[in-house]
Amino acid sequence: MIYRVRHTTTYAYAEPVDLATHMLHLTPRVLPYQEVIASRIVAEPEPSGLRQGEDHFGNRVTWLSVDTPHATFEVTTEADVSVSFPVPPPADQTPPWEEVAAAARAGGPGAWEAAEFCFDSMLAPSGAEVHAYAAPSFAPGRPILAALADLNARFGRDFTFRTGVTNISTPVVQVLNQRAGVCQDFTHVMIAGLRSHGIPARYVSGYIRTRPRPGQPRRRGADQSHAWVSAWMGPAHGWVDLDPTNDLIVSDEHVVLAWGRDFADISPVRGVILGGGPHGVSVGVDLEPLEAE
Amino acid sequence: MTGGAPYLDEMVDGCGGIRPPWRSLLAALRSLPEGGLTDAANRLDRAFEEEGVTSLLPGPDSMGIWRCDPVPLLLSAGEFAALETALAQRARLLEAILGDLYGPQTLLADGALPPALAFANPGFLRPCRMPGLHHRRPLLHFYAADLVRSPDGAWRVLSDRTTGAAGIGYARENRRMLARVLPEAFRSGSVRQLRPFFEAWTDALQALAPDGTPAPRIALLTPGTASPLWFEHMYLSRELSCALVEGADLTVRGGAVFLKTLKGLSPVDVILRRTEGPSIDPVEFTGDGAHGVPGLMDALRAGAVRMVNDPGTAAAQAPALAAFLPALAPRLLGETLRMASVRTMWLGEEQAREQVLSDPANWLIRPATDGTAPATALAEMREDARRSLLARIVARPWAYAATAAVSPSTAPCAGSDGMTPKPVVLRMFLINEHGDRWRAMTGGLARVVEEADRLAGRLPRHGLSKDVWVLSEDTTDIVGPVAITIPPMPVRRTAGDLPSRVADHLYWLGRYVERLESAARLIRAALTRLTRGAPLPRELAEIRTLAACLADAGVIAREAANAPPGTAALPEALLRSVAESGPVGGLFTHIARLADAVRDRLTGDMYAHLTQTLRSARSDAQRVGRSLDALVHACVGTMRFSAGIAGIAAENLVRGGGFLFLDLGRRIERAQAISANLANLLDVPAPRIESGLRLGLELCDSAITYRTRYLTVLQAGPVLDLVMADPANPRALAFQLSAATRHLRDIAGQEDSLCEVASNIGLDAAMLVTRVIAAGAAQAEEAALLPEELRRIETRLGQLSDALTRRYFALLPAAQTLGLGDGERSAIPAAA
Repeated sequence: MIYRVRHTTTYAYAEPVDLATHMLHLTPRVLPYQEVIASRIVAEPEPSGLRQGEDHFGNRVTWLSVDTPHATFEVTTEADVSVSFPVPPPADQTPPWEEVAAAARAGGPGAWEAAEFCFDSMLAPSGAEVHAYAAPSFAPGRPILAALADLNARFGRDFTFRTGVTNISTPVVQVLNQRAGVCQDFTHVMIAGLRSHGIPARYVSGYIRTRPRPGQPRRRGADQSHAWVSAWMGPAHGWVDLDPTNDLIVSDEHVVLAWGRDFADISPVRGVILGGGPHGVSVGVDLEPLEAE
Repeated sequence: MTGGAPYLDEMVDGCGGIRPPWRSLLAALRSLPEGGLTDAANRLDRAFEEEGVTSLLPGPDSMGIWRCDPVPLLLSAGEFAALETALAQRARLLEAILGDLYGPQTLLADGALPPALAFANPGFLRPCRMPGLHHRRPLLHFYAADLVRSPDGAWRVLSDRTTGAAGIGYARENRRMLARVLPEAFRSGSVRQLRPFFEAWTDALQALAPDGTPAPRIALLTPGTASPLWFEHMYLSRELSCALVEGADLTVRGGAVFLKTLKGLSPVDVILRRTEGPSIDPVEFTGDGAHGVPGLMDALRAGAVRMVNDPGTAAAQAPALAAFLPALAPRLLGETLRMASVRTMWLGEEQAREQVLSDPANWLIRPATDGTAPATALAEMREDARRSLLARIVARPWAYAATAAVSPSTAPCAGSDGMTPKPVVLRMFLINEHGDRWRAMTGGLARVVEEADRLAGRLPRHGLSKDVWVLSEDTTDIVGPVAITIPPMPVRRTAGDLPSRVADHLYWLGRYVERLESAARLIRAALTRLTRGAPLPRELAEIRTLAACLADAGVIAREAANAPPGTAALPEALLRSVAESGPVGGLFTHIARLADAVRDRLTGDMYAHLTQTLRSARSDAQRVGRSLDALVHACVGTMRFSAGIAGIAAENLVRGGGFLFLDLGRRIERAQAISANLANLLDVPAPRIESGLRLGLELCDSAITYRTRYLTVLQAGPVLDLVMADPANPRALAFQLSAATRHLRDIAGQEDSLCEVASNIGLDAAMLVTRVIAAGAAQAEEAALLPEELRRIETRLGQLSDALTRRYFALLPAAQTLGLGDGERSAIPAAA
């Protein structure tokens, strides 16, 4: 599928900002299964300095600064992206999950990059509670993809998608206890549960199509930044992306912006401003197919 | 610290004889008179206290004092050379490992290093990784290692220090103090100097600037006075000729890094980092937006500035790394490792785990990747605690390392009765001179291992240290480095280089010292009248006036000032004011904090004077208790302290930015106090004005001058002329304003609106006096009209102070972090 994505973030400040420094994760990654046909970032006011590069995880980053006083800051990313995630192997052909955990722990050829994602991170720390929640999906010897799909499906049954009950600093344990939250929360809980079993799991930020295919339900998390989980199935099968918010294995309705250990690694618009006073932010996201279906 | 092996002593050889390097030192120490060593130890303690090596501030810092033992630790020339070569190799190896971790990560890709050492390492900072890292290498520019000599006689590395390498300032200070207190000892042999090392370091820092930078600007980045190492940072900034800056002093504009000075932005080429890596930039590292310099990490990546050590170098001080160095040295350097570490294993390896679990008594457990955390001796733990630690190790084995429990060698230390051997750890310091070339400081910091000291981890906050002497074979090599030609520097005499923050601190230091003096003077004036048995009606009126002045100055509460004279309310309020929690006690605390913050701008003598007199004045004030006599005494001491600061500032500070702001603060504060006091003193019906005039002379310390000029007749015109308009009287309002005008002009480099404001206030004050004199016989009546005018002058002085604060101290709006809280969650209400 080829999509056009348009993502606008607007900050409105009560007092002028004298100096702003931003780090943006707003350009979609180039992947074997995701071609970025065109992309551009437009910021207003005009940045006084702008550089682009890659971060440690291979994401595309834009660093910019604005040193003229401004009361609003607006940044828009526009990209045309062709995406088709690989079809995962049959679950019973994937290795037992314990083997995947052992391979990640050992590191070395074929596993060292995945190994990074089996350690705790700030927003997705493993612990007894998340381990206990995930454990029923991890019967001894169960093939990794079967375990992953089972856990992913349990989020749809156990959790309620509800905005306003969490923010980005809500601990995973609290999300787990209240069984409610938004896509970021489910993603963090699932990542923590996987890591507590030694399975490398990363946080993927991106978009899901705004209007569903005919006959399909409207997806949750559309109209805004979306997040889901990428989990490792061992050196032979690599990664599979799972969307616990929509109980999906990701195929061609998602566009990847960036991945990291958790949200803090890849916040789409991050920055430090001098001045500004109280501020408000609004975000608009649109992901539309560019071709007829 | 356990282990059954016998201790090895630094001074004695295997056969009970004295090792050669120690012989002449022992002879020199023996020639001291009876008790000479103990005396030297006491004098060293005192010298450290006087020089204010410890902080002025109360609390744990002033308790945490490092003491220096008078007996140095000796290293022979050959031994030092071997240590230098081995540690230089280790530094090259750690640099190669860092270069790989922050670049291609081939060591992880082929399994030479386990993933946990990088990815579960709090020192591995992901924003530091980039392809094509060359412009930031070497990442490691200074390095320190903690060494112990094991019973087999070989030195081994216990810990690597790749980020802060603290202690170098203490080492330098130990040498300076010891040379002062025990010069005899230095005559015993040829001790290599430390200075050449610092000169080489200065050159190495200059050479880091991008090619062709004519006179590179170097800044030492410190967390500030709150850091326990503030003293060391200040010391290093002087020794290495760099500006001492905090994060808030720097700004990134257009991709380049600048220091905010009074004259605007001044470029910075090299930053010597003495802060934690993640605190440099709030945009890229999670943290509080108020710390760090937004955009600094990207400026570094872009090569606009060099920073040493690179922010991510703490990754190489992971204790578990020691287990991999013997295999990595041949691979990365093509050499075998010259000096072994104290035996260390990474518990992520199953065999290592089994070995430790089967024989726990002989191991110290350390976090695998956090070199600053203390070690835990399994043998000394309670049974339940040990079981719980072992369970944690089994659950997360990759997070732990084990180091063999060692018995460090002992060295002789001054005891109550001659010398006692005590175990020591030696910290050595190295810098990268160029490329692969490393140089060790010809000295070091030895510290005595105390009972509870786990050897590893951060430097303790206090303890006993020893100077380390590197002896030279013959005296010919005690020469400085080859002279390096430095291009002639432009002569600078401007005040503009002063960082705005420092100017701000100095200004307030001046104000608070003056405010303290003024408070002490008022309290004393009130006390002399209160303690005089049955006061006369005239004295009662004076007490009431003084109480109003004291309330205006914020020394006592308004209710206490309004209480009927003769009750205990006023004396009680005065006693309370000097207590630690009282307003005068609070001034002492402010002054101590500011003096620490500007310490790098004060001469050593000035700081020492300030420290000692402040301590003594403050302790007098705190000991006052309920005694009015003691309070009088404390006030006199306080006034003497303030006067001493003024004198020593006048004699020791160059008349540049620093002095100007210090004195400006003092002048404006004094001018405000004079106007406020006179407004109270003259606020009486004309017939009673004489007592106000008398008090005015007393508070302005001008009674004697008046008497020599006019004998004893008090008249409003002459009195007010002396305390308000006389430009030659340093206690007069006019004097303050003409000095302030002059300072403001010197700071700005020209006449500007601030000078005009100051000068107009002075002219208006003189005008008021002219009016009083012109009133002839009705002078008293005219003077009684002044209070309102004087209050207006006081307000204008406050506005002048605000205006100059805005102009020079550039109060920046608060920084805020975006995108980590409510940023992208439009549906979510903002986090509280």
